[in-house]
Amino acid sequence: MKIGELKTDFGNIKDLQLSIGQAKEEKWEEPMGPTPFPSLTTLREWDKKLLERYKPFYMPFCDMCCLCTQGKCDLTGPKRGACGISMPAQQSRTVLITVCIGAATHIGHARELVTSISEKFGKDHPLDVGGHNVEVEAPLIRLVCGIKPETIGDLDEVLDYLENQLTQLLAVTHTGQEGSSVDFESKVFHAGMIDQVAMEVADIAQISAFGFPKAEEETPLIELGMGAVDTSKPVILVVGHNVPPAVNIVDYLQKTKLTEEVELTGICCTSLDISRYTPKAKIIGPISWQLRYVRSGVPDVIVVDEQCVRADLLIEAQRIHAPLIATNQKNCLGLEDRTNDRPDDIVADMVSEKVPGVLILETNQVGEVATKTAIQVAPKRKKMGFFPKKEELKEIARKCNQCKECRRSCPNDAAIPEAMKAAGKGNFALLEEMYDECVGCARCEQACPQKIPIHSMILGAAQEKVKEEKYKIRAGRGAIQDIEIRQVGGPIVLGEIPGVVAFVGCPNFPKGGKEVAEMVIEFAKRRYIVCTSGCAAIAAGMYKNDEGKTAYELFPGSFEAGGVVNVGSCVSNAHIAGAAVKIASIFARRNLRGNYEEIADYVYNRVGAVGVAWGAMTQKAAAIASGFWRLGIPVVVGPHGTKYRRMLLGRRDKEELWYTYDARTGDKVYTSPAPEHLFVAAETKEEAMVMIAKLCMRPNDTSKGRAIKLTNYVDLHKRNFGSIPDDVHLYVRTMADVPITMKDEIVKMLNEKQWKERTIPDPTLLPRMIRKAKVKV
Amino acid sequence: MFEDIPVEVGVVHEGERIRRKDMYLELGGPDVKEKFELVRVLTPDKIEDGKIQVIGPDLSQMGEGTSNPFGILIEVAGPKLEEAIEGVLERRIHEFSNYLQGVMHLNQRYDIWIRISKRAFAKGLNSFTFVGKVLLTLFKNELPIIEKMQVTFLTDPFRVEEIYREARKIYDERDARARGLTDDEVDTFYGCALCQSFAPSHICVITPQRYANCGAISWFDGRAAASIDPKGPIFPIEKGECLDPVRGEFSGVNESAKNKSLGEINQIYLYSAFGRPHTSCGCFEGIAFYIPEVEGFGIVHRRFPDPTVNGLPFSTMADSTAGGRQVEGFHGISLEYMRSPRFLQADGGYRAVVWMPSEIKERMKENIPADIYDKIATEKDVSTLESLRAFLEEKKHPVVQRWKKELVAEPVPEGGLQVFTAREVPITQGGIRIILKNARITAEKVILQPLRPQKPKKGEGRG
Repeated sequence: MKIGELKTDFGNIKDLQLSIGQAKEEKWEEPMGPTPFPSLTTLREWDKKLLERYKPFYMPFCDMCCLCTQGKCDLTGPKRGACGISMPAQQSRTVLITVCIGAATHIGHARELVTSISEKFGKDHPLDVGGHNVEVEAPLIRLVCGIKPETIGDLDEVLDYLENQLTQLLAVTHTGQEGSSVDFESKVFHAGMIDQVAMEVADIAQISAFGFPKAEEETPLIELGMGAVDTSKPVILVVGHNVPPAVNIVDYLQKTKLTEEVELTGICCTSLDISRYTPKAKIIGPISWQLRYVRSGVPDVIVVDEQCVRADLLIEAQRIHAPLIATNQKNCLGLEDRTNDRPDDIVADMVSEKVPGVLILETNQVGEVATKTAIQVAPKRKKMGFFPKKEELKEIARKCNQCKECRRSCPNDAAIPEAMKAAGKGNFALLEEMYDECVGCARCEQACPQKIPIHSMILGAAQEKVKEEKYKIRAGRGAIQDIEIRQVGGPIVLGEIPGVVAFVGCPNFPKGGKEVAEMVIEFAKRRYIVCTSGCAAIAAGMYKNDEGKTAYELFPGSFEAGGVVNVGSCVSNAHIAGAAVKIASIFARRNLRGNYEEIADYVYNRVGAVGVAWGAMTQKAAAIASGFWRLGIPVVVGPHGTKYRRMLLGRRDKEELWYTYDARTGDKVYTSPAPEHLFVAAETKEEAMVMIAKLCMRPNDTSKGRAIKLTNYVDLHKRNFGSIPDDVHLYVRTMADVPITMKDEIVKMLNEKQWKERTIPDPTLLPRMIRKAKVKV
Repeated sequence: MFEDIPVEVGVVHEGERIRRKDMYLELGGPDVKEKFELVRVLTPDKIEDGKIQVIGPDLSQMGEGTSNPFGILIEVAGPKLEEAIEGVLERRIHEFSNYLQGVMHLNQRYDIWIRISKRAFAKGLNSFTFVGKVLLTLFKNELPIIEKMQVTFLTDPFRVEEIYREARKIYDERDARARGLTDDEVDTFYGCALCQSFAPSHICVITPQRYANCGAISWFDGRAAASIDPKGPIFPIEKGECLDPVRGEFSGVNESAKNKSLGEINQIYLYSAFGRPHTSCGCFEGIAFYIPEVEGFGIVHRRFPDPTVNGLPFSTMADSTAGGRQVEGFHGISLEYMRSPRFLQADGGYRAVVWMPSEIKERMKENIPADIYDKIATEKDVSTLESLRAFLEEKKHPVVQRWKKELVAEPVPEGGLQVFTAREVPITQGGIRIILKNARITAEKVILQPLRPQKPKKGEGRG
């Protein structure tokens, strides 16, 4: 703004130049809370409160530190390394590095999406995740950053903050920085929190730009499974997480009217997200389906973007003569950059197999190249797969010399040698069974000294199963509506809806994905609110009940008791944490803006939510869990989760840990050990279900709510372990908490344990939340 | 507790649905004209405690796939039981019978619809005696004020019909009594503190003519709950002296609010959205919102997804309403309260209502004065305040009378927001003339906060 000359009452102004970096009309009236854009230590006191209750329990994966040239250093027992670091600090440092990798991945992903969307749609493109039904469009950004983003461009400021914090966090892991494990852990929580915000940025940006479902309760049912693919058509496979290249393929197919001529199939989160863009896309399975599907020979061209893509996918693709297109700077796979070449030239080189694949970093070209390649390659390839045929299986199996290296290398200790022995005699049943439990890592093949293609043999034996792999999954809906929150907020906070259980994360399952589906159905039947996202959402759909229906067909997609809500891909996880936060803000009218500690205290004490990452594997999964912890939401992982090196376990036997303030009186009162743990591994599905039901209890439950939660906990324990749990008395505060149908046995137990009635507080861990009485009561 | 019952009994079975192909037989339901469930409070001498009677064929004698006339009659006695509590006890039949695995119970009163699953029948659930035992155990355990109880199942069509007629009469009497009971006729109201965990200063005051905001608790329910569980969240409030019969101010209510909110709320008007209105928790079914431009109320319920006539959807207004505060002009209500003659009595009742969703208007048809019904606009008639104003004028809505008293409205400043004005530049030092030459002001970020539009004065010309 320039003003030549301005005459006013108070003076004359000449050649005034006014430049404004950013002008913004602020319409958000909510007052700013105490902690907008928190730094590494802003929320340290809150973290310490949680870490005091849930002391880290370290399980070193390795006793050494090998990170600097003074080492490697033995850290066992009381020993310290050359830099002075102790074993607990070193373990938590490793956890921090892991979580930073996960957070960096989501932040990088979010930044790329926001940049490409800004270029294509403009920075002024409005954020819209659900119109009037979702007024709190970005609960986590509001909570953490204290700003209310309205356009894509507004997300830049958030990303700047996240990138800054991530750099600081990574710096903490350098030699000679933090020495205390508790401080490392607090920073793990911080990294988890910024990771959650990054996921929210990514998902609200892509929902707004690509017109994904906007929080609708009933989204379309998407076809799922290898059996759902029409192999008579050219088939494109997309793998990864970053959806714009896949969006470009759909746009190209529509533009050239080829939608009905070409099958678009996907694996992992890109497939979830592309099915939010078009219900015609087909989802093959979680990331563990990569080898299976590629080796089946069905895909004619493979397009990869970023994250969780197998590093050997190019080699596997070459084996089936399917060209591969890499599209992301973070995953170039050694391929030649052909971004600036003419699409037809690139297609010709791939079709003639002059090159096994190409790197195309300009999203706008991917659709054309992938489609043309698929159409031209398909007739030549004739879906050449290389599963051994049944008659070949016997012959190959005979090569096995029973050295058992395969079984030792299998993450799930599958009885491969036994299956090989049987297969050698013509009995393939054991091999076929293995298909359901195999996580698709193919480590067995790497271990085999005889070079037996074990994974392919499992697939060959299970051909019938593969054909029948046809399921339905409800497309990811994104956010939870404000109205839904208002409907269920009361019943959740009072405990009458026994809990919100979120099945998230990767497919490193101990016994196959069926267990996830079974858990989803069990908790939905029990009228919990069940959420799913990412690979767990896919696994939850890959199981049919007696009526031939999947969980998504059996239960409604609304956020209500007995609903099964697929929020979407990994980054859609943010909506689950967001829903918990929205209960505090929309329903209970707590200020959200820059008010992390108070909201986390609310969620921790009142919202009976539990995250379940039954197959957690990646660094991102670790970051996602960490974000839940800081909000006071417990996470249960499967047995492989112990390899994250530490758990956060509460000690129910230590009474002094479970005192809380009663906000009405200011008294410190004993509550139940609820929730008992913040991060815990379960060995079996049965253990997990009992633990999930237990961890849904919260100090704020009313008697009716506690009775419902106890009914589920006790009932699951009885069904799975045949007895009443030995800690029920800790969760009964007054006689009204006892479930009526279990009164006899529980009262007997209360008498044995010399139980005494206690009060139900208005719980808080924060002394400042104690209400000051204005009158004498 | 239920060792002798052939199927499992527990809350976990509550949500169970039994589809037609899985059902062994059906009791009541849409294909049967006469069916009922009824609870009666009798004197102790008329009850044989623990007796279970089946009049007509038992489950094992009914054919597979049939729909049958059916009635459940539960008779109870106890010193604290009274007739007024019957409806509350009756509603528990639904809950308790659903605890049985393989039993689905829907609806209530003369609408009941029960299915027994094939699997449950095969497991041995072949007699009503089992159902009776479960009901006896659960009722007496959960509601210790019941001292004696007997259960009768009726399947003989003649006997069903006979008692069905009697039951219909009882339901009608009960409803008439409930609707007829006024706030003046009772000495005790009930308070519900259930929502304090999310709205710490909120207490619902439940009177015969003002349902709890959530729509789930009537005065009778409140009374039953308070006597069944004296330590529970619902407690009696002595009404005290009536301080203002129009606004609905009572000394006992004020006192109770003061105590329960730790002094946050000291005075409550039960029948007004202005002055000292009843607080709103977070689970109210609807909102009565004042529209200053037309001096009347809009009503919106939770399930109305679109923006209302003032441009704001339920969710946005709910934010202004909730949290246990006394917010003038934004008033959380239950839909049942809209059936009460006390509904916004001090503010003009339905004569002050100018807009509501058509669904609610239709539902409240009987309760809206006939002369005003057509004068209330819905989303089908108008979508903006201007069109609302025209609608009201055309229909001669009573609020139009108020407008005439108005002076000319203040003009609304035009042209949106100015970045800054000369007067706001902070260099006005008295007497000193400041000349800025070649000045350059750079701001990293300028935040422009609009001044809030002035709200019209409230509490005038009403009552």
